[in-house]
Amino acid sequence: MRARKADTLDMGRRTLVFGSVGVAVVVAGVLAAVFAFGSSGGTQASSTVTGADRVATLLDGIPQQGTALGDPSAPVTLVEFADPQCPYCGVWERDALPDIVDGYVRTGKVRVVFDGLAFVGPDSLTALRTALAAAQQNRFWNVLELLYENQGTENTGWVTDSLLRDIGAAVPGLDTDRMLADRSSAAVDGLITQANTTARNAGVTATPSFAVGRTGGQLQLVRVNSLTASAITPALDAALKQ
Amino acid sequence: MTDRRLRGAVLLLSLVGAGVAAYLTVAHFGHVRIACATGGCETVQTSRYAEVAGVPVAAIGLAAYLVLAWSGVARGELARGIGFAAAVTGFAVSMVLLYVQAGILHAFCQWCLASDAILVLLLPATLLRVWRGAPPGAGSSRPARRPRARARARRGARPQPRH
Repeated sequence: MRARKADTLDMGRRTLVFGSVGVAVVVAGVLAAVFAFGSSGGTQASSTVTGADRVATLLDGIPQQGTALGDPSAPVTLVEFADPQCPYCGVWERDALPDIVDGYVRTGKVRVVFDGLAFVGPDSLTALRTALAAAQQNRFWNVLELLYENQGTENTGWVTDSLLRDIGAAVPGLDTDRMLADRSSAAVDGLITQANTTARNAGVTATPSFAVGRTGGQLQLVRVNSLTASAITPALDAALKQ
Repeated sequence: MTDRRLRGAVLLLSLVGAGVAAYLTVAHFGHVRIACATGGCETVQTSRYAEVAGVPVAAIGLAAYLVLAWSGVARGELARGIGFAAAVTGFAVSMVLLYVQAGILHAFCQWCLASDAILVLLLPATLLRVWRGAPPGAGSSRPARRPRARARARRGARPQPRH
């Protein structure tokens, strides 16, 4: 009787163990399937870029001059040091920048200048050169934001000519052929050199990094503890009060 | 190793795992830059594989670790069974995520690797608890009756009021 009870218990434990392993295998299989067949989330080059409407709305009506966004006579300048491939820079651009643009740039208080760095890898340089080439047509921010919207995994060759052409086609008023040709221009070389020099002099060691100050004056590097707009707005407010 | 020690090990490992998962969950929602010695944390945490149906994988892991921690505190067949089921499922999922890091993203997140290591330890601990069953003298999740109460129950007598 006792032996039968023990057998029943062992059977129950075996069922529990093998049942749990079965459930685990099914859960892991479902997860793998979700990852394999789920939305690419814009991480791979595709024939259509994502975020075109959001970027168009974000930048609509805001003046652009080269790599600067906003009123040139805005009292405060925010310089952003970033790499087009850096994932945290992508988070900042997608999640924090819209609040800065709506609250400070669109209202003429702040202009944002992008100093592009390309340290992550070859895709960084290709993406940066393309955006800087678009700056020659004052469409830098449109291309930059679309690159971040469609940012792929680092150094996987995601910055293809096909993606860049799709991005170019999604930017109103941009001559895509001219942008692609201008990537190796002396003007683009000069902007890259200038950004590197500025970053080195400012003591930038990570991306994204930010410097804030009165326009035309000395800018101070601002340490941010999160990639949200609220991390940088106190520095902007302080500079506006000066 | 006694069941008491096994429960203690399960509880301790689960709490460490819950801490790791909580840190990653807070960093995810707060867009906070996470400390990283392996260099690939941000690639992993900002990749599309960091969420399933809009829910951060770290948050799912936190829930699983809390279940495991409960199984380390609670006694009984049910707690042991749920603990093992959570551990083996977590281990299987962590293997999928490890493949994603190594084979797809080519980047490793130290916090994810720490969680993997914890699950590797939790798996045999929870399995052993299930396989051994209840320790001697702890047949059920209810507290054991005191000997006098047990004797009274055998006799079918009601406890007499004290004067």
